[in-house]
Amino acid sequence: MMFDIQLMGLLNATLQAGTLLFIAALGELITEKSGILNLGVEGMISIGAVTGFMVAVNTGNLFLSVLIGVFSASLFASLHAFVTVILKQDQTVSGLILTILGLSLSALLGKKYVGKKLPVKIESLIEIDEPSNIFEVLISQNYIFYLGIFLMVATAFVLKKTMFGRRLEAVGEDSRAADSMGLNVNKTQFIATCVGGGFSGLAGVYLTLSYVPYWTDNMTSGRGWIALALVIFGGWKPYRTAVGALLFGFLEALVPRLQTYGFELSPYLVKITPYAITIIILIVLTIYKGGRTGAPSNIGIPFFRENR
Amino acid sequence: MNQIILEAKNISKSFGKTQALKNVDFYLNKAQIHGLLGENGAGKSSLMNILSGIYQPEGGSIYIEGEKVKKLNPDLAARFGIGMVHQEFRLINNFSIKDNLTLSKSNIYKANFEEAFEKYSEIFSLSAKSSILINELSVGEKQKIEIIKLIFNDNNIMLLDEPTAVLTPQETNQLKISLKKLSSEDDKTIVLITHKLKEIQEFTESIFVLKDGVMVAKDLKTQNVTNNDLVTLMMGEIKISKIRKDNLKGTNKLEVKNIFFENSHSNVPTLENISLTVQSGEVLGIAGVSGNGQVELANIISGIERDYKGKVIVNGKNISNQGVRARKNLNLSYIPENRLGVGLAPGVSIIDNSAVKDYFKSRLGPHLSRNKMLDYLDLLIKQFSIKAPDPKAEVSTLSGGNMQKLLMGRELISNPEVIIAAQPTRGLDISAVEALHELIIKQRDNGAAVMLVSEDLDELFKLSDRIIVLYEGQIVKEFQIDEADIESVGLAMAGSVE
Amino acid sequence: MNKYLISKKIVINDLSTFYSFLIGLSIGITIGSIILLVQGQNPIEVFSLMLRLSVGSIKSLSSSLNKATPLILAGLGISIINSVKLWNIGAEGQIFMGGIALNFIYISYQIPNSKLSIILLLLTAFVGGSICILLPALAKVLFGVNEIITTLLFNYIIIGFTVYLVNGPWKDPNSLNFPAATYVGKEVYLPTVFGRLSYGFIICILCTAGVHYLKEKSVFGYELRISGGSALTAIYAGINAKQKAFIALLIGGGLAGLAGGIELLSQTHRVSTGLSQGFGYTAIIVAAITGMRPLGIFLVGSLFGALTIGGTVIQTMGVSSYIADVIQATTLFGALISQFFFTYKIKEVTNDV
Repeated sequence: MMFDIQLMGLLNATLQAGTLLFIAALGELITEKSGILNLGVEGMISIGAVTGFMVAVNTGNLFLSVLIGVFSASLFASLHAFVTVILKQDQTVSGLILTILGLSLSALLGKKYVGKKLPVKIESLIEIDEPSNIFEVLISQNYIFYLGIFLMVATAFVLKKTMFGRRLEAVGEDSRAADSMGLNVNKTQFIATCVGGGFSGLAGVYLTLSYVPYWTDNMTSGRGWIALALVIFGGWKPYRTAVGALLFGFLEALVPRLQTYGFELSPYLVKITPYAITIIILIVLTIYKGGRTGAPSNIGIPFFRENR
Repeated sequence: MNQIILEAKNISKSFGKTQALKNVDFYLNKAQIHGLLGENGAGKSSLMNILSGIYQPEGGSIYIEGEKVKKLNPDLAARFGIGMVHQEFRLINNFSIKDNLTLSKSNIYKANFEEAFEKYSEIFSLSAKSSILINELSVGEKQKIEIIKLIFNDNNIMLLDEPTAVLTPQETNQLKISLKKLSSEDDKTIVLITHKLKEIQEFTESIFVLKDGVMVAKDLKTQNVTNNDLVTLMMGEIKISKIRKDNLKGTNKLEVKNIFFENSHSNVPTLENISLTVQSGEVLGIAGVSGNGQVELANIISGIERDYKGKVIVNGKNISNQGVRARKNLNLSYIPENRLGVGLAPGVSIIDNSAVKDYFKSRLGPHLSRNKMLDYLDLLIKQFSIKAPDPKAEVSTLSGGNMQKLLMGRELISNPEVIIAAQPTRGLDISAVEALHELIIKQRDNGAAVMLVSEDLDELFKLSDRIIVLYEGQIVKEFQIDEADIESVGLAMAGSVE
Repeated sequence: MNKYLISKKIVINDLSTFYSFLIGLSIGITIGSIILLVQGQNPIEVFSLMLRLSVGSIKSLSSSLNKATPLILAGLGISIINSVKLWNIGAEGQIFMGGIALNFIYISYQIPNSKLSIILLLLTAFVGGSICILLPALAKVLFGVNEIITTLLFNYIIIGFTVYLVNGPWKDPNSLNFPAATYVGKEVYLPTVFGRLSYGFIICILCTAGVHYLKEKSVFGYELRISGGSALTAIYAGINAKQKAFIALLIGGGLAGLAGGIELLSQTHRVSTGLSQGFGYTAIIVAAITGMRPLGIFLVGSLFGALTIGGTVIQTMGVSSYIADVIQATTLFGALISQFFFTYKIKEVTNDV
């Protein structure tokens, strides 16, 4: 019985950690599908986290907090979209600057909010203190968890089954061909980048309004980078990314529990494993699938319309 | 009387100092196939790019169905039903045929896709299913999809840029039948851009001829003109120089023995038992539709491809196991088919590119002498009359002709013993072609052994002493030049040897 | 829909990267001022203090240049790797690995002569950086695995490994609150030239000159340029493009490792998670924003070193040090944006005749 509760606790923590990573990764997946690489996930999550927290502290209105968090991260991502999509500058460089700017700007914005108490918190669907079976764990999750599942199904459906999604992928696969089909490459990429930012913002709001929940500098602590790794792990597919999120989330949840379970394994080394696994998967896929890792063909390459 | 669906009046366009189009008039009769004839560089592509909204003309006006159109851009052109098939396809490789045909905003067969696809598959005798991915198709099939894509996008004016360049004679014939059906049954207005007279005669009803940016003939009725008329119009007074074939041949300089080669990505043999010799003072032409092993053969001889079975012998010396550098030292030069990308590195400066063959001669230990490189470039520029703006400028800012002169100059200045030249004049204007042909002949007369790979039969017949035809990696036929004729070489290229 | 078309200019002003950096800097300072004003501070006061405390005296100037050293070295490494048109996002991890390798050799072997010992340790740091990029480099040249992703992921592996070391095997029992390895002995501290200026900065100057030579004047640099322009051209020219790329990657990683070694021997004197404060990431941007030119990296790197020192000291005024980061980031964005106008021409689509 005790063991069950512990196990369920681990599962619960896995789902919570995984949800955060998954939502950010899903957003990045959408952005990358359009051919834009945005390395600024860490910065975008930060912006979403701090703005959501600020609104929550000041208004106590959860819905508004989530909305503002998502919107500001999306607006922040539009900076990357402007620089890379409209001005055709290097995506790697712009993404890295976005990270630095996001982290420092959110620290400045949130300076007065460090240590502040939240008047509200994102609730669970059903409150169960110590869930004792899988069913109880699954129904006692945070609302954001169910939203994440909905977003996963919706994203997979939109990308594969709708005209909008197929066109988005077309732009990311071959922007010149997409252009010749009359699709607006710039607009598509701009939208995809902002949507990706919005997802990161949602992950950020979840971080400060439920997962942790408080605000402090650099509290994203590398989760944005994990999200980037997850997209690769998931082969740019929503469902496989979700599996990856569970694995990465599991490891995050496992680390603080290792000692209580009596394992000699260093928690710090366990934390490295997802990255190592991702690298191995990437290499194996590249070798055995002839480079077909699932990455959009046009990723990172700016689109120019031929003209004189 | 014919209804005029599109009319361009007084169109002018210049790029920098060169005027590509001078007050050109052009019009299209509804539901006819038109030929736009002209040498490379005559302005055909510029005119087509203006009609599809990609380039903006400096002067002139465009009328579509009688109405004047201002600010024609690609989106607007598409809305007016003007579509173009470019030489490089605009298809998404990882997507299915269906996706490629239906994702466009202007797709008109949303509801009845299968029905329409079946109809046009039949017209184009295309057997692939709509769920097949583009990268599983052959070049010919991809082109069919490109043309069908125009139909699906409701393009009633179809501009086809050199569509037969990648096709076998048989596929070309098939295309002719399909296009005629499109114009007669679907009322499509078609423009065939080409410099091949035979196709103009067979495909079209009406001919326009561009020469040096001027429209020298308008709406000629095909049945009323002869090939000779067209040649005179297209080329003016310039006569193609006849090449002397009284060259003295000497010893075997290049011998290739029993080459077998398999591409690592497939287990279909790319080259099967290839043996050939080239003597000094001789030009051996290699004919074949692209993709039949020519590139691989040239790469094997030049040392780029090392993983093959068989022997390569230069001047009696077996060099099968030697690398590119060692072969260069035996004075073997290779002018690759891919001018920008293999012969020259895009994104790298002109001066750096000029040194690719001999840069290790400008070195002093680890130091690279920039002055020596500059002297060498100057020499190339003078000797081969290359027009290059600034040594530091990217090589891709040069015109195609000047790029090729830089490349060939670099490879030929050392008077090589063996020259492998692949498609040396593709896509160049006639004056550049003449100059480059002279370069090759000069080397031949100096005693070089030349292996010329080309898809241009006119070029092969003009320069070669012998012609070998490659088909699916095998030598299917060898001709002495005086006993060869275009028809039998063409048939051999398509794999039919009697 | 698309009313404007853009295309690359054929001739790009050589100094354009410099101009766009200046424009970026003024944008950064403007935005920084606005933020300061909003926070009720006098920007002129803050900036003059920053200026004084970062370059106003020998002491502060030397601190700034010490701060710039790892940034410049890592940037130089990135610039060499970019000669073959590859990216190294892993400089951050390589900096740590340089420190780790150095410390490993330091605790494992005793070298009596301290000068020799310092040289050997710095070489070890270089090798450590190279080892850190070895797997991404091999994966790239052998199988074509995207190096952006692998080098990026390696950062987390190495930083995670660092955390493991300083909490586990290397943990200094005397350092209670902050997990860190034991300090290295004073005999291997890098000596100073004057003020606080470490000899690390001299190494940095030498490396700048060396990388400039290697890239612009040497046969190796030429072969890298051709390989980067087109791998097929390189093969055609008899250049082993993969081998050159591999060597470039190892040198680039090594320079970042050296940065870590110098930082350890001159500043932190021990391995900890504070060995690099994002130098590896900032270096990428500095290198990119200067068009990968070694001299530009040196200048902008020095400036950013001063800005970081300035940012740290203004904390005493109650101004958040993050303001310096915001200025850096907005400067970089500003430079990136203005670079666009130097490299591209914009044309309105018109056909009015």
